[in-house]
Amino acid sequence: MKSKKLLSGPYLIWSLAFIIIPLLIVVYYGFTTKEGDFTFTNIAQITTPENLKALGLAILLSLVSTIVCLLLAFPLAMILSGMNVNQTSFVVLIFILPMWMNFLLRTLAWQSLLEKNGVINAILSFLHLPSLNIINTPAAIVLGMVYNFLPFMVLPIYNVLIKIDKDVISAARDLGASNIQTFTKIILPLSKPGIISGITMVFVPALTTFVISDLLGGSKILLIGNVIEQEFKQSSNWHTGSGLSLVLMLFIIISMAMIAKYDKDGEGSIF
Amino acid sequence: MPNKLIDIVQVSKSFGDNLVIDNLDLYIRENEFLTLLGPSGCGKTTLLRILGGFESPDHGQVIFQGKDMTDLAPNKRQLNTVFQKYALFSHMDVAENIAFGLKIKGKTQTYINDKIKYALKLVNLDGFEHRTPDSLSGGQQQRIAIARAIVNEPKVLLLDEPLGALDLKLRQDMQYELIRLKNELGITFIYVTHDQEEALTMSDTIVVMNQGYIQQIGTPEDIYNEPQNAFVADFIGESNILPATMVEDKLVKILGVDFPCVDIGFGRNKPVDAVIRPEDIDLVKPEDGIIEGVVTHLIFKGVHYEMEVTANNYEWLVQSTDMFPVGTHVGITVDPFDIQIMKKPESEDEEAVAIEE
Amino acid sequence: MKQTIKKIYLGLIILLLYAPIATLIVLSFNNSKTRAKWGGFTLNWYVELFQNESIMNALYTTLIIALLSALIATVVGTMAAMGMQAMNRKFRTVMMGVTNIPMLNADIVTGISLMLLFIVLRFSLGFTTILLAHISFNIPYVILSVMPKLRQTSRQTYEAALDLGATPIYAFFKVVFPDIFPGIISGFLLAFTMSLDDFIITHFTKGPGVDTLSTKIYSEVRKGIKPEMYALSTLLFVTVLLLLILINAKPSKKSSAASLKVKKRSRISQIILRRVVPAAMALVIIAGGFFYATQNSAGSKDQVIVYNWGEYIDPDVLTKFEEETGIKVIYEEFETNEIMYPKIQSGAIAYDVVCPSDYMIQRMIENDLLAEINFDNIPNIEHIGDEYMKQSQQFDSNNKYSVPYCWGTIGILYNTTMVNEPIDSWSVLWDPKYANNILMQDSVRDAFAVALKYLGYSMNSTDLDELTEAKDLLIEQKPLVQAYVIDQVRDKMIGNEAAIGVIYSGEAIFTQWENPDLEYVIPKEGSNVWIDSWVIPKNAPNQENAEAFINFLCRPDIALMNFEYITYSTPNTAAQQLIEDEDIRNSTIAFPDASELERCETFRYLGDENDAVYNSLWREVKSN
Repeated sequence: MKSKKLLSGPYLIWSLAFIIIPLLIVVYYGFTTKEGDFTFTNIAQITTPENLKALGLAILLSLVSTIVCLLLAFPLAMILSGMNVNQTSFVVLIFILPMWMNFLLRTLAWQSLLEKNGVINAILSFLHLPSLNIINTPAAIVLGMVYNFLPFMVLPIYNVLIKIDKDVISAARDLGASNIQTFTKIILPLSKPGIISGITMVFVPALTTFVISDLLGGSKILLIGNVIEQEFKQSSNWHTGSGLSLVLMLFIIISMAMIAKYDKDGEGSIF
Repeated sequence: MPNKLIDIVQVSKSFGDNLVIDNLDLYIRENEFLTLLGPSGCGKTTLLRILGGFESPDHGQVIFQGKDMTDLAPNKRQLNTVFQKYALFSHMDVAENIAFGLKIKGKTQTYINDKIKYALKLVNLDGFEHRTPDSLSGGQQQRIAIARAIVNEPKVLLLDEPLGALDLKLRQDMQYELIRLKNELGITFIYVTHDQEEALTMSDTIVVMNQGYIQQIGTPEDIYNEPQNAFVADFIGESNILPATMVEDKLVKILGVDFPCVDIGFGRNKPVDAVIRPEDIDLVKPEDGIIEGVVTHLIFKGVHYEMEVTANNYEWLVQSTDMFPVGTHVGITVDPFDIQIMKKPESEDEEAVAIEE
Repeated sequence: MKQTIKKIYLGLIILLLYAPIATLIVLSFNNSKTRAKWGGFTLNWYVELFQNESIMNALYTTLIIALLSALIATVVGTMAAMGMQAMNRKFRTVMMGVTNIPMLNADIVTGISLMLLFIVLRFSLGFTTILLAHISFNIPYVILSVMPKLRQTSRQTYEAALDLGATPIYAFFKVVFPDIFPGIISGFLLAFTMSLDDFIITHFTKGPGVDTLSTKIYSEVRKGIKPEMYALSTLLFVTVLLLLILINAKPSKKSSAASLKVKKRSRISQIILRRVVPAAMALVIIAGGFFYATQNSAGSKDQVIVYNWGEYIDPDVLTKFEEETGIKVIYEEFETNEIMYPKIQSGAIAYDVVCPSDYMIQRMIENDLLAEINFDNIPNIEHIGDEYMKQSQQFDSNNKYSVPYCWGTIGILYNTTMVNEPIDSWSVLWDPKYANNILMQDSVRDAFAVALKYLGYSMNSTDLDELTEAKDLLIEQKPLVQAYVIDQVRDKMIGNEAAIGVIYSGEAIFTQWENPDLEYVIPKEGSNVWIDSWVIPKNAPNQENAEAFINFLCRPDIALMNFEYITYSTPNTAAQQLIEDEDIRNSTIAFPDASELERCETFRYLGDENDAVYNSLWREVKSN
């Protein structure tokens, strides 16, 4: 049995080198100046009005996107889990297939759809309806986030829903619960692990994206992800960038703690 | 004579190409312990689910206290179900599980608390209010499921093979518990099982089902002693089922030998099936028996000895507290009263179980 | 009723999911170079796709990295899962926590942490770093796929095998392994997929000349996606669709009449799964091995690493250079001077020849980042007009470090069908009449130049009051601005998406070709005149090749080729003579006369501190 433990040796070394140490390096850069002195200024950068704005906007948009995803995903997961086995794999296929298209191209395609002279407005004007003008606004960014992250909300909820014993639902009905009561008292509480999992899988990427705000926000809208990316790639301001990233990681750690609290058995994973 | 509570009229149900219940008629009385008994796939669980409202029949009606409840939603019916795998709400504790139906009905908290205490006492689980379902054993979960159901004072309790997952001793204890419960509550129990011993132990009435319709209805004694066809005979208890010829009233020819019996009205020289229970066969000295044979197998079963005796080219199953070693020549006699004559099956549908010769 | 609602809802979601994909597919057949117009049906792009070397390269790189990283991750991950299974609870929880980190952490943080790691280790960014990064984020997916299967596998079957005489290894491969195999396969596929689609982490860990599909697409977003990309994505989509259908052809438990057909289908899918797919993978891996070797033999071959603006050279010129000199060109693009500078300054990547703008060259000289050019190797410099060499002295005082490449002005491009009056002033960019119809340059100096000139100040101002005034003006303007763009201004103006845009003179010429309704004007308040020149960084590994490259570009016929392709004015007077089209030769947009140039300023480098001020003011504008 000892030899079995050794099997994870390579991974232990790898994770140390490529997961732990890089993060420590970020911490180092975050707390030092270019000359190597210890400082809090990098972290304090978050308090500048533009950065606060970027952070606040990112939090707002990702919250909205997460909620929209949740509202869309739950009914979808319920419909999918209620279908019989033969149909299920086909339908799941349909939902996974778009994820195989390149993420940038998919998001970019929304530009074509949403533009002033884009496809949607072409159709709307054909039907003599008012045109849709959300490109380059936060609304477009939310749309992009929801579009890209919806599957990550659907899958965990779906996984939890199919594990609910059908008899439990029947029991609730048998005991007098209406459809709504069955939903609120039984299905919803039992799907909590999946919901928590889904929320984390959507909120964190949405919070930290820079590509979506880049492509759909017309470079007018600066999210915290954009700020950090620019610090690294444009200004090569690694110290500031790391400091801001540390603040970001704080949010991520909070979400990890939330998962650990609500989902001790690991039921709500995506697998 | 207790009143009719439920009337099932000409109910049919198919799943895809599969006809599961075929034009079934049945009535159920108040304060009755009625068991639906049959092998897997015979339609008993489906029938129970139709009563509970979880399935709708394709044709036919279900009348409850004179009113048609065929299309009524499950949460509006005055029945409650105890599910096979208990279906307790894992995110609630025992008290909340039991209180569930009462809360929906809007009862006051004091009422609910009293009822919970009463229900737990009834199932011998006092003090379990704050336990969680996954900390309970199978038997305890079963009893909580029962408590949760009866606390709503249903007129009928539906039980879907509730004891299947329990070990033998616990199962037997629970069987007595259920009978006691029924008597205390004074309500109808409709019980589904494939275990004929269970059915015989607990029921007032047994409905034997196979392939979607009723084979026989009767009290346990009736079903056991006077099975009306080969299927029932074979399903309930052990039996020797032999093809025979009815010579005339009160005389049947089995394996070429005349056996006096007590049944009449089967015609003259008509082919019939004869059923003889293993415990009704007496083994005597060869010259004293109606036919003679040799003991080929012997097994000690605790309660009795089980032996196979080959006589007239048939392997008779015999149960007796007397022991005859393998190889002994014995004589077989049967009291005429213990021979049950049945009509030969008229269609293939009745001939559901292959009879081993 | 309930059923129809469900179906409608499902249908709506599917519509949402597939709308962009359908758009991409349709665009792949669009016979027009820009996204904005429909020009008829064509299969052209599919043909061009396979001839486009850089896209094919990117595709190949993507596939190889995905395959290799997925494979390695699967091996390491499976071993890790098995090892962790045997650990005690506490340690296992810790390891699972570590495993979860890359999955839960934001991609951007993972990306920058790895980038910093490589930089600290002085490991030059390139193909290998991408591969290492991909393996790192793939392993957790494998572990999380295999662990549940391991937990489910009954210990008893393993013990049964041992009981029957098997050695532990034999028992593992014959009993445990087949059991967890579905988990391993799904882990592999998951890793493969995540690697294929990754953008953010690759974005941070890649080096020059190496692109995956995602990074290639991103670099093209600014300019306008080449339609070949749409063709490629359509092909990928169709391939995946077919694969998934084939593999998922599950026989239903229905009547036997269909079962024969079904058996045949499942046999085909079996064959594909068992034989074709592994064979294809093996082939790709072996080919990939060669590919990797060629990618990494960076040092051995004769090459020149070029860092230039996007769409700023005729690709045929590069091919010609390679053919005539035998020197391989590795080509990287940047969007703005401000993005280019830190890369050169940090020395993380060593380029041979770069094409910055005037003021940036001045900054680079002052920060001692450039090498003096050996003009003996560039005899063709005689073709560059004297006036341009003189103008260069504003930032390169002795003409020691730079060779002019392109020059031009910045001005206003407007659509005469959407704008009724003649334009001659920057003020039109603040006119509420054109709200949401205005495009501004997404670059700090250019944006401020517009505001400062409009206010009557110098675009090289360092006066805080003036700058603050300009900043406030820009913030005031922001609600009217449709978008801050760089090269996309071209497509958008051609497509009538906006009425007015700030644009470079070179782009203006191109847009007029495509959309005759467009006019270009240098406002009366004055504008910017600029020169982009070639320089050689001090740490260039192949300086002589760089000089040969610059010399090649100064050849009149080559300068002409470039001019005709990128339409930016050339300082090469010999090439100017060779321009055939009179209209263009005499165009005031391409070659404005002295009076127009008088009111134009050149950008100067203002020093790090002032740069920081500009940057922070610009940040305020962007985040407002």
